[in-house]
Amino acid sequence: MTNRLKNNGKEYWRSLDHLADSPEYIKHVEAEFPDLLPEIQNPVSRRKFLGIMAASMALAGLAGCRRPVEKVIPYVVQPEEIVPGIPKYYATTMPFGSSSFGIVVESHEGRPTKIEGNKLHPSTLGSSNVWMQAEILNLYDPDRSKKVLNNMAGSSWDEFVSYWRKKREESVLNKGEGLAILTEPFASPTMARLQKEFIRKFPKAKIVAYEPIGNENIYRGIQKAFNTNKTYRPDYLYDEAKVILSFDSDFLLTESESVLAAKRFSKGRDVTGGQDDINRLYMIESSFTSTGAMADHRLRLSRQLIEHYVTGLYFELKDRGIEIKLNGFLMKIPVDSWDDDWLGAVAEDLIGNRGHSLVIGGQTLSQNTHELIAAINDELGNTNKTATYYPADDVKISDAGDYQSLIDDSISGKIDTLIILGGNPVYHTPEFSDVISRVPNTVHLSSHINETSQNVTWHIHRAHFLEYWGDASAINGTKSIIQPLIEPLFGGKSDIEVFTTIIDGTDRRGYEIVRETWRDILKSNFEKKWRRVLHDGVLTDSQNKPEKLKNAEVSSIIGFDTEHSVNSLELTFNISPAVYDGRYANNGWLQELPHPISKLTWGNAVYLSPKSASELDVTNGDIIKIDANNESIELPIWILPGQPDYSIAVEVGYGRSHAGRVGNGVGVNIYGMRKFGQLDYINGVKVSKTGKVYPLASTQDHGSMEGRPLVREANLDEYKHNPDFAKDAESHPPLRNIYPEHDYSAGYQWGMTIDLSKCIGCNVCTIACQSENNIPVVGKEQVGNGREMHWIRLDRYFTGDTEDPKALFQPVACQHCENAPCEQVCPVQATSHDKEGLNVMTYNRCVGTRYCSNNCPYKVRRFNFFNYTSKTPEIVKMAMNPDVTVRFRGVMEKCTFCTQRINRGKISARKEGRELSDGEIVSACQQACPTEAITFGNINDPESAVALKKKDNLNYELLAELNVRPRNSYLARVRNPNPKLVGYKTNRGQ
Amino acid sequence: MAQIFPEWTNKLPTYAVAGIAAMAIMVTGFFWYYGSPKYTDVGYRPKQPVAYSHKLHAGDLGIDCRYCHTNVEISPKANIPPTQTCMNCHKLILPESEKLLPVRESWANKTPIEWIKIHDLPDYVYFDHSAHLNAGVGCLSCHGNIAEMAVVMQVKPLSMGWCLDCHRNPNNHLRPKEELTNMNWIAPAHQKDFAEKMIKEKNINPPLDCSGCHR
Repeated sequence: MTNRLKNNGKEYWRSLDHLADSPEYIKHVEAEFPDLLPEIQNPVSRRKFLGIMAASMALAGLAGCRRPVEKVIPYVVQPEEIVPGIPKYYATTMPFGSSSFGIVVESHEGRPTKIEGNKLHPSTLGSSNVWMQAEILNLYDPDRSKKVLNNMAGSSWDEFVSYWRKKREESVLNKGEGLAILTEPFASPTMARLQKEFIRKFPKAKIVAYEPIGNENIYRGIQKAFNTNKTYRPDYLYDEAKVILSFDSDFLLTESESVLAAKRFSKGRDVTGGQDDINRLYMIESSFTSTGAMADHRLRLSRQLIEHYVTGLYFELKDRGIEIKLNGFLMKIPVDSWDDDWLGAVAEDLIGNRGHSLVIGGQTLSQNTHELIAAINDELGNTNKTATYYPADDVKISDAGDYQSLIDDSISGKIDTLIILGGNPVYHTPEFSDVISRVPNTVHLSSHINETSQNVTWHIHRAHFLEYWGDASAINGTKSIIQPLIEPLFGGKSDIEVFTTIIDGTDRRGYEIVRETWRDILKSNFEKKWRRVLHDGVLTDSQNKPEKLKNAEVSSIIGFDTEHSVNSLELTFNISPAVYDGRYANNGWLQELPHPISKLTWGNAVYLSPKSASELDVTNGDIIKIDANNESIELPIWILPGQPDYSIAVEVGYGRSHAGRVGNGVGVNIYGMRKFGQLDYINGVKVSKTGKVYPLASTQDHGSMEGRPLVREANLDEYKHNPDFAKDAESHPPLRNIYPEHDYSAGYQWGMTIDLSKCIGCNVCTIACQSENNIPVVGKEQVGNGREMHWIRLDRYFTGDTEDPKALFQPVACQHCENAPCEQVCPVQATSHDKEGLNVMTYNRCVGTRYCSNNCPYKVRRFNFFNYTSKTPEIVKMAMNPDVTVRFRGVMEKCTFCTQRINRGKISARKEGRELSDGEIVSACQQACPTEAITFGNINDPESAVALKKKDNLNYELLAELNVRPRNSYLARVRNPNPKLVGYKTNRGQ
Repeated sequence: MAQIFPEWTNKLPTYAVAGIAAMAIMVTGFFWYYGSPKYTDVGYRPKQPVAYSHKLHAGDLGIDCRYCHTNVEISPKANIPPTQTCMNCHKLILPESEKLLPVRESWANKTPIEWIKIHDLPDYVYFDHSAHLNAGVGCLSCHGNIAEMAVVMQVKPLSMGWCLDCHRNPNNHLRPKEELTNMNWIAPAHQKDFAEKMIKEKNINPPLDCSGCHR
């Protein structure tokens, strides 16, 4: 294989198999429907298939004679403001640890169906991420816990309240001795008020917040650097920064406030309209992330070395006259073991942009490193410019120390009553099951009967945030409201309600409790202002002023440099871009979402570099045994170009045993190995082959378009020199059409552009589309067969060195060709053109020949091989968009440019007797995209945003030489590497 | 040697061909007509849970359609009125009536009345009432003279071909705004001029593309 790799001149490749043109890859690409043949040729399954067909024909024959009777069920009393058929939109907030996302939820006759960002909320500004989109499915999760359990036997909330009233009297008398509360981190005025009350009432009780991966180290580092006891939340202004250096921070995707970060980062990356003053991103990371793919320079390093490189940056800056105050000790082992050419050039670039540069670190770095990073920013003049710090009012942050002492106290018998408000500690901290068995009284509030609920005294079912009242404080302190869109489906309780009961033994509604808090916030003229807050979702102008912190110091600087080798590897733990820390394990949309870089679905794997893999003699899917910390875990491997050598990465959040029907047993739980209190890596890890193989479902080779110039990119210099580089990449004879031309000169003509410079590969378009268009989940086996149904496929291309490539993303949905090849081969005209340029698909006409998919050069059509929705539980059907047909078995489907949104917009404009204005109709993907990479609109209007983008030099069409004239086009990517480093390759770790 | 087949058998193939052709025509014709919405759907008149008479309310009493179907001009769906609408009047009018028992039960128990849907389009068709009314298509065009029906039935096939007939040539179905719900409106002599004026004024452009109705 290595030989073939060398002789192959491919510039962009999707997988190592693709680059090497391995026989498996060729077979996969050449078959239009890969893996279909074996099934048809298999006599057993064929006979079974015919049997099923015969049976279903017989049933169909009988059923066909009857007219189905459908009922219309009106309200008894029609609620005010509800008009059946017209959705309502409500602003609310999604709490997410100590972050919160302002959202606007679409509701059809009282049934929430779609979540979008709230333009007024500072953390979303109208965009969203995959977790926000997927919450709608969580609301209707049929596996949610449905009742209160006492010792796992059915009970009721009232029984719990009377139990607690008795129990509480003891606690009041002994001032809360032996009482402890474990919550998830929060940022909420009401929760903060309740916490104060709790402490007042039970001064000896403990209240601890913890989540397995969070911002604790970042906050503590900042505290140390600025020598303060107050907690600050950093708000980085990426749009103000010209040079950004990230140490293992996937700030565009998995870190906190990623939606805002992506929006700001892409603002500084806009090359359209002739702008060429764009930011530069340096990324040093321990596993390939979305942010790494966006970087202009990416350095792959083991996580331990990354910490060392921060120290290295300190010295490089010092050499150049930027001295950071050090009031402690300095420990540097070994001296100068970083790549000083690379780091030196970065340091110069940072110094050259003082006040407009930014250094950030990831959640997994140590507190000391974060302290140093904050001090570096301060010394570079970035504090209060690109790095601002807001006081963390109303915030309870995760605290590993407190958590550890809670565990110790529980095990030593000091805790008598433990109340767990949310979270799943037994899953992410295995020793917590001892805590549950030692503490006599345990109460667990949780949405599912999960790992932690198994042996608790009381399990209380938790309501979803779309079902309860609450509030939140955003990163800059803006207060927002959580208002329910629907009564709790299973009658669950919110954190606030349970917490109130714990404090005073009353049983009050969340509405009253939240209003009590807000009476203090809004003060005078309460009702009027309250209504305004419910309308906007946020309290406008309630943000804090960023505090003017200055004079950062560093207490100590420590450098590590352990040699890693194939016999002594480093293992790093990462957050999953799909199931997060495991909380989304039971969400089918997220499980099936391809990983941004590896494109793996349904499970995790050990990522290792091609070099490490060849030294270990393993290949994709081989199961290896990892030994570390006296634990051993078996996991399949996935070779990921760009992974540092001898450093292996695993994502947490998989291998749940009590997640529900979707998440149980998907992937492997690695939390057991991540010993508590350790940093997020382990040294000296040994791996061994087991000889077993596990089939992993990756979509990286699906829908390949065979080595044509699909993705186009240039460095900023090249772009300045030749602005038309994207168009120059194609050459073909004059294009003539053998079919009669359509006339597209009148009316609305829909078109789209996707800016590759801005696409961060976050997948939110895929999920937003899935939610808007009722796209089914097909399961791991079918994904393995290449039958995933996502209408938007996010192609990830590698380019450059096979060990250390660059990556770039290209979302591909139906291109809506004006001369669509699919239409010409459909025997029943199920796919045809409308006069607004949409390539439309009429499901009820489709007979499933799949000719269209065969003839589609972009491979964007999706076929319903099975009746995927037949087993959808009733409650999940409530998540369906009533404006879009649910497709049946045997029907082809694909992107429609959200024709339902176009129609709704056109009809309402017509009713008002006006024309549509630009930007009035947004497609679901465009609305969700945090970087505004997608532009959609009427290309017949020369002033529309999409028409202007299509005039840009960078605009190119995919496979233009086929003369299919796609309505979707791409803006080529422009990278902005440092001229002093271009072409530079580091020797480290290779 | 005597011939095995008598002479008349020579005509057998002709008869067979003619017979098969006739059969084919008959079978096709049978399904053409009896399988079409004209036969299967038109005349559908299920028994409703409440013996509500449109003839009485809309015809004899002259209540406007929009008194009950309030959202028809603003929403894709012409709503079935909530029980509350019935009770607005029937708290005072015929409060003891036997026929109104299900309505009173619904009101007392807060359980909705389950009406049977008559004009039932397939789930993949997205018909918008408000768009049609705003263009000037009256109720009568699709629902027939409801004001004459004691029990509502379907009078038009509601098939795609039938929809397209009007989408291709809406002239005869356009009326002034104030006549939309009038069941006794008779097209004036100058209907063609009126329709052409309306089409121009409102830029009426009924979609003929699949995406107009199928999403």
